[in-house]
Amino acid sequence: MNNNVGVHPEARVPRHRLADRLFHWLMAASMLMLLATGFLPIFGIKFAWVDPHWIAGVILTLLVLFHVIRVILILDFSHIWIRWREFIDSFRSTTREALGGRRQKRHIGKYSVGQKVFHHGVAIVVLAAIVTGLVMMVGIDGPFWERNPLFMSEGMRGIVFVVHGFTGLFSIMMIMVHIYFAIRPEKLYMTRSMLRGWISQNEYDDHHDPARWSSTEG
Amino acid sequence: MEILRYKTDAWGQRVLEGASWDLVWLFVGGAIVFIVFHAIYTHRKLKLMRQDDADE
Repeated sequence: MNNNVGVHPEARVPRHRLADRLFHWLMAASMLMLLATGFLPIFGIKFAWVDPHWIAGVILTLLVLFHVIRVILILDFSHIWIRWREFIDSFRSTTREALGGRRQKRHIGKYSVGQKVFHHGVAIVVLAAIVTGLVMMVGIDGPFWERNPLFMSEGMRGIVFVVHGFTGLFSIMMIMVHIYFAIRPEKLYMTRSMLRGWISQNEYDDHHDPARWSSTEG
Repeated sequence: MEILRYKTDAWGQRVLEGASWDLVWLFVGGAIVFIVFHAIYTHRKLKLMRQDDADE
């Protein structure tokens, strides 16, 4: 499995470039701002939440656009794409382990199947939040536009608000689960790499399969 | 527990207003249940892996 014989164990394997780390942490900050401004008033903490909410939403929209452009032009989409064989293998081995079968340490590509599923779940929820949020912005006054309350029917407005509300609810659940995995001891090296950009050669050898993710790719 | 919120519009009709905020606790609870089950499962798995390694 280890194709890096002769490589110093403390050598650094690049994992997340600065632009991607900045995207991650700015997205995290904007998501937390959106949840705080969206949910605190519901729990009785009253403040002028509309402006910070839509501003954080616009920032999130720009960040996602930036990420999509980077994926198209720079990043390797195959790292995050779930292959059918990979999914089936992971499902089978997890089921086997859960039923008491032999436990095997698995070497993953850049991301595990679970991380990829989570990424796609976040992508669906965030894109739905952005689309519905942008539609909802037509109903409020902004610095460059006047509100148009007749932009859509009452029935359609209700559906847009329902979808936007559920994206907020799913976001709470996903952020809680994401933080849980980020602080799990066996995942801490990945969390560290989201701060400093690299993992050690030892961590790479212990967890990753060079055939799926080369240590020189980043 | 309601899933959706409704309001009465200017014409007295009942119209959809949004998702019910009672669901917040369902989603928070769902996340906590997942985390607890995963933590127990992983703890057990890692313990058995260590035992397997010691047996070999």
